[in-house]
Amino acid sequence: MADNNTYDAIVIGSGISGGWAAKELTEKGLKVIMLERGRDIKHVKDYVTANTESWEFPHRGGRTQKMVEEYPALKRDYPLNETVLDMWVKDKECPYTETKPFSWFRGYHVGGRSLTWGRQSYRWNKWDFEANLKDGHGVDWPIRYDDLASWYSYVEKFAGIQGSKEGLDVLPDGEFMPAMEMNCVEKDVAARLKAHYKNMRHMFIGRSANITEPHNNRTNCQYRNRCWRGCPFGGYFSTQSATLPAAEATGNLTLRPFSIVTKILYDKNTKKATGVEVLDAETNKTYEYKSKIVFVCASAFNSTWVLMNSATDIWPEGLGSSSGELGHNVMDHHFRCGAGGKVEGFSDKYVFGRRPTGIYIPRFRNIYDDKRDYVRGFGYQGGAGRGRGVEIAEMTIGPDLKDALSVPSDNWGMGITAFGEMLPYHENTISLDKTVKDKWGLPVLNMNVEIKDNEIKMRKDMMEDAKEMLEAGGVKNVNTYDGGYEVGMGIHEMGTARMGRDPKTSVLNSNNQVWDAPNVFVTDGACMTSASCVNPSLTYMALTARAAEFAVNELKKGNL
Amino acid sequence: MDRRELLKMIAVLTGGAVIGGEVFLSGCNAPAKSDAGFTTEQIALLDEVAETIIPATKTPGAKAAKVGAFMPIMVTDCYTQEQQDAFMKGIVSLDEASKKLNSKSFMDSNPQQRHDLLVSLEKEAKEFNKKVEEKDKPRREEFEKKQRPYDFVASPRHYYTMMKQLTLLGFFTSKTGMTETLRHNAVPGKYDGEFAYAKGDKAWAE
Repeated sequence: MADNNTYDAIVIGSGISGGWAAKELTEKGLKVIMLERGRDIKHVKDYVTANTESWEFPHRGGRTQKMVEEYPALKRDYPLNETVLDMWVKDKECPYTETKPFSWFRGYHVGGRSLTWGRQSYRWNKWDFEANLKDGHGVDWPIRYDDLASWYSYVEKFAGIQGSKEGLDVLPDGEFMPAMEMNCVEKDVAARLKAHYKNMRHMFIGRSANITEPHNNRTNCQYRNRCWRGCPFGGYFSTQSATLPAAEATGNLTLRPFSIVTKILYDKNTKKATGVEVLDAETNKTYEYKSKIVFVCASAFNSTWVLMNSATDIWPEGLGSSSGELGHNVMDHHFRCGAGGKVEGFSDKYVFGRRPTGIYIPRFRNIYDDKRDYVRGFGYQGGAGRGRGVEIAEMTIGPDLKDALSVPSDNWGMGITAFGEMLPYHENTISLDKTVKDKWGLPVLNMNVEIKDNEIKMRKDMMEDAKEMLEAGGVKNVNTYDGGYEVGMGIHEMGTARMGRDPKTSVLNSNNQVWDAPNVFVTDGACMTSASCVNPSLTYMALTARAAEFAVNELKKGNL
Repeated sequence: MDRRELLKMIAVLTGGAVIGGEVFLSGCNAPAKSDAGFTTEQIALLDEVAETIIPATKTPGAKAAKVGAFMPIMVTDCYTQEQQDAFMKGIVSLDEASKKLNSKSFMDSNPQQRHDLLVSLEKEAKEFNKKVEEKDKPRREEFEKKQRPYDFVASPRHYYTMMKQLTLLGFFTSKTGMTETLRHNAVPGKYDGEFAYAKGDKAWAE
């Protein structure tokens, strides 16, 4: 098998989407090679900081000047610190250029960002799939909620999503494991919101891919809240904890780390891909792998990079470029603004355990009768907690200072941060920048992306609604904040190879097939036609599983 | 309380963001020296400064948490050259201030004299930092206008502020700080969102 380099299917990338593609295709009997550009990370064994305590880190989890210099992108936000440095790409080895400021936080290793993701898992609602058609931004999705509903159920059952059933159109319920608990303050605020907004706004536990019961040889969450260092219990969904073991159990999977796919090989006579070219990241040798189908799951921008770098005489701008939309319509979720304040009256209560999720407040703007001066909407994530340290006179040092900082604060605090939908603008693009090369001499990506009026108007509501709701929820001294948002910081890159109904205006069809090469499927964030305001990974899982079934059926019918 | 909250708490207490800890505040204009050159005497001095801020009470203090040895690691690895220089000069200035106020070096002073000196430095640092912040404001805004706030590197705060920040950070992330002065549970195994609390119960370390 591996000797002749020929497989039934090639999966490019091993993150959330790639892992799902490998699982589904191998379980359906295909011989699959999964190509990962970075190193391998073995489940549990390679989670090197999973049990490291704060005092065992030389800089107590901080960042050094050397790190700041080596990670010019990652340094822009919280991900750069010594607790999980291995889980991020070395920016200097893999640069990108910015026509406009863009933060690109990447994980180049087996498992990709499935190891470091925020695990928030929400279904899109029926309006999300109709939004482009209704307000005219972007192109219409070629699918509707009903096309994906059963696939959401399918992936939820396997991934293990904890959450509460709320019966809301705006955030459809799923197949949930028992929900984690809101704490006493969150419950109180939620009840006040429900009464104040007459059941039109809702707050409940954030749905997340943390299991609350044993599941497929995985131990339920132990409430350490150290997920992104890798969980030795398999308490959250990742490639390593879930999809990879399932794929390996079939005996049909070959995993090849250090494999940078440089291009998809295309046969202009059959109008299909024949395989891929791989650059070995360690030896710099080039290999070819052949297959009947190719799943491109390299993370949104890198999937599009592979397509762009697969230019041929017929498609000089890259495979899938016939519509002129390849690389366009970049989206992220804009956030880093909201409000927070203090809550009085719960000084006899505290928490035990570190819950790895917060609360969620689903979208309420521009649905039903609500109408704003912008389109689409936003949801909130946040939570309540009891901080540390009671007030003491200024300039106190010594035993009094020590005592004051050794106990919880008198009051609890509660804060919420909004995550807003970003529209698909044609002029928001990524493109190949051939003037700059990465460590392997490959061209890099240029980012030319910004938020516009719609997002800027929305941000005002994102802050003011947060204040109003917290105050209605009984929170005192509420302050709004806008910490400044640079596109990419949401780490929810979407678009650049969108799905659509028309090959003239989209890169992929309703089954994630590249219009120009039907045996090539793109099922990660690149395929997204709009962004919704909810976290996207669960939707990538559902789309990938759906496309995999379609691909195998088409193969059986002899159509691919 | 997670790490980010701890950093925020220290920032509020000391009137300045924690170097090497928080985003947007440590850049890299000039690479700093790989060895800032701390002597054994200086580490002993820093231990005593830290112990004056967080002393042993019913539980061990900063000296037992080896905060004096922690500071040089942070200053060497996480501070910019300018911040390093300010810290190193600060060690000398601290002793000069001690001689002025107490007519003896910090190491020769008794606990009350040490305490009085640091309280006087608290006042001095507050005014000093206010001026630094005002001076930095136009430069900070320049970076914000360029949409590159994370490239702004703040001018060094008062040396005492740096020492106090490192004391609090070092102590409350140390093993004794986290497990004896605070309480810590590596694997809680469950979550209780209305856990009973009686006045005086220790806070969770994280």
